[in-house]
Amino acid sequence: MLSALMALSYAAFAIFVIVVASKWIKWSSMPMHLRWELYPVPHEAGRHHYGGSYIEEVDYWKKPRETTLAGELKDMFSEMLFIKRVYQYKRPLWWLTYPFHAGIYLILAWFFLLFVHGILSVYISIPALATIVYYLIQICGTIGIIAATLGCIGLIIRRFSDRDMGNYTVGVEIFNLFFILVVLLTGIATWITYDPHFQHAMEFMKALVAFNAAYLPKLTTIAKVHVVLLCLLWIYIPFTKMSHFIGKYFTFHKVLWDDELNVPGSKVEAKVRELTKLPMPWSAPHVDTGKSWDENALESPKDEWGRWRY
Amino acid sequence: MGEVEILSREIKPEDAASPVDQLVKLTVRDLEKLPPPYDKPGMEPELTDPKPEWREKYATDLDGYIAIDLPWKPQNKEEEERLVKSFLSGLNKLLTKEGNWTFLQPLLLSLEYCAKCQTCSNACPIYIMSGKQEVYKPTWRAEILRRIWKKYCTPAGKIFGKFVAGDIELNAKTLLRLAESAYRCTLCRRCTQTCPIGVDNGLISHEIRKLFSQEMGIAPKALHELGTVQHLKVGSSTGLTPDGVRDIIEFIEDDIEDKIGKRIKIPVDEKGADILLIHNAGEFLSWPENPAAFAILFEEAGLSWTLSSEQVAYDAVNYGVWYDDLQLARVAAKHAEIANKLEVNKIVVGECGHAHKAITVVADRVLHDDIWIPRESCMPILWEIVKKEKINFDPEKNNFPVTLHDPCNMVRLMGVVEPQRKILRKLAPQFREMEPHGVYNYCCGGGSGFAIMTSMNFPEWRNAVATRMKFKQVLEAFKDCLDPSINKYICAPCSNCKGAIRDMLSYYKAPERLSIYYGGLVELMVNAMVDLEEPFIEWEFH
Repeated sequence: MLSALMALSYAAFAIFVIVVASKWIKWSSMPMHLRWELYPVPHEAGRHHYGGSYIEEVDYWKKPRETTLAGELKDMFSEMLFIKRVYQYKRPLWWLTYPFHAGIYLILAWFFLLFVHGILSVYISIPALATIVYYLIQICGTIGIIAATLGCIGLIIRRFSDRDMGNYTVGVEIFNLFFILVVLLTGIATWITYDPHFQHAMEFMKALVAFNAAYLPKLTTIAKVHVVLLCLLWIYIPFTKMSHFIGKYFTFHKVLWDDELNVPGSKVEAKVRELTKLPMPWSAPHVDTGKSWDENALESPKDEWGRWRY
Repeated sequence: MGEVEILSREIKPEDAASPVDQLVKLTVRDLEKLPPPYDKPGMEPELTDPKPEWREKYATDLDGYIAIDLPWKPQNKEEEERLVKSFLSGLNKLLTKEGNWTFLQPLLLSLEYCAKCQTCSNACPIYIMSGKQEVYKPTWRAEILRRIWKKYCTPAGKIFGKFVAGDIELNAKTLLRLAESAYRCTLCRRCTQTCPIGVDNGLISHEIRKLFSQEMGIAPKALHELGTVQHLKVGSSTGLTPDGVRDIIEFIEDDIEDKIGKRIKIPVDEKGADILLIHNAGEFLSWPENPAAFAILFEEAGLSWTLSSEQVAYDAVNYGVWYDDLQLARVAAKHAEIANKLEVNKIVVGECGHAHKAITVVADRVLHDDIWIPRESCMPILWEIVKKEKINFDPEKNNFPVTLHDPCNMVRLMGVVEPQRKILRKLAPQFREMEPHGVYNYCCGGGSGFAIMTSMNFPEWRNAVATRMKFKQVLEAFKDCLDPSINKYICAPCSNCKGAIRDMLSYYKAPERLSIYYGGLVELMVNAMVDLEEPFIEWEFH
């Protein structure tokens, strides 16, 4: 029999995955946009260090492109793992946002390790690995929850004390930070009062991995509250801009680093051909509303083009 | 008209709707200090108020300056309602595939994911040099659009209102200020480089401009009516006609003969040439020595090239890239169509930054089938001339202090960074970089059309605020040789940058006080040619 908490945990995970996937699909199925890259583009082999592009070559469209995946990965991971741009351009904020994000990464690693531990407990027995995982769980869990909580408190204080940020912050953004903080504080309370070695967390994950409530530990009220809030947070995150890990992939890879060239016969050209057939809905005097982008682009100038109206 | 009411407290995004006459009033004392000798009082003009009569019909409501020189301020409630309705209609179109396939994904990503961390603010030269005026912060205008979008266009905003969207009222004041504020950003996108999420506040400025233009035809006259529309109707945004350009080319041939003692026949409309070279037509009128220098270099290097005298194709500019995707497409399509008619192998863009980016990069996904043609920057070709020693140069002829201004469109926005520097390292012994430079450069302050927006009081704002960071950089680059007995050269390989730098130097009286001059890259190259007996650079300020 599944307990209600187990059912909620499965549902939270499933909703998280489904909504993240649907957002991913939404962003990836958007129409190809005009080129709007921003240099330095890290996959430019041999030129990235100074921000150069393949356009620095005479007859560049005839030449093979030299790109480097390593350059892109380096830039990507230094931003993901170390939040490089905030470190470079707004160091005081980095001291708060970095522990917060690094703490969350460690908590995610902690979840993964609990999952591995569950698999090792239920399906495959490798005692040596289980011991290593056990200690990693202690390290990631402890550092993760402390770092994330301190970072979260720091970010909340900063939102209220720094008018530069506070004047731009709307209610839901404060709510999001407090929601995370409450989940972290209930987690700390559970950890200190009930589960100092994450033994019960491991048992909980074991029950989830085995689909068997018999493995469930007896939870205290604060532990139950924590699990419920944590599940609600998992469900909530993908609906909010806290899911900026999705957006970040697209802003960098599909906008700022998208330098794919349009040459005759290419896929890009085929997409341009289709998109320029779309009818223009705009209403300004210089637009022939309803005609396609192509038809509008090739029109002869008219007197009313220079006028304005609303 | 009575006393002008200015907001006398800290400005927030929601203050865009404030009923006061003007949100901010600038004075020279508010602005960031300049280095010596401009650190003393009286070295720059005081800032002026807009004429009282302008306030009635023009949008002076932001900072008193007018970029959009159209009398579009609503005069009654009905007009205000019509304006708001048109704006919302445009905003909805901006969020559709049909209306905005061109930038839908980048726009929505930037609206959706900004963390309001303000990491970008200190990257903006206008915000910094204005003395950190809130209304120039990259996030200020972006947050106004974001709140309107959330409130009127998203289910969450409609259900939860202010809790999700923040505080924003949509009235005529909001829109007048939003539109004007989109013209306080040069679209240099330096802010975007610093964003940890990749949010593009420069793009949001671009999209605000576009909404007003494509839905209502509201844009600065210099960009639209006298810009792209005149370009397409008459042949050039300068008003230059095909007959006019042919006359000027003849004059340039005479001038070349006077200077180098040899007549060069500039090829015009030559079918089957390898290169169609397109200059910014402003060069023909304001700096004819630039097309002359190109002609000398291309002829001496033995390149197969031609200019065009056909309408539109003798002017490389494409102002559409700053405010209107349709106008961008129209100009780019015309350039490609004429190049194909001339049966050239490629278009090469002369020293014009935005024209580089417009036709090479942004319009890359507009051109297709019969209206496709290869396009490239002149910089790699110029570097090949030097590298392959097609011409004999003597760097000693350029033995004076030279610094390089990087046009944003060429460096940060298309990655053409090194060819021009390689040339200068080779041909200018006293070349020194500005700091920062390359893809991290600062805009000249004339970007996104500001250089050519010269009506009403906008040039004062441009000179005092927008170009201020560039002037600071120039003074720092030449700090070891400020003595007016030493001629100094700002190499600005872009017509609009040159225009902004010319006005900047004149505003601060830098030629007479410090002997700081400016010009293009090709002029320096020709100046270093061994075969020339007299210097090509004349050290005259014009």
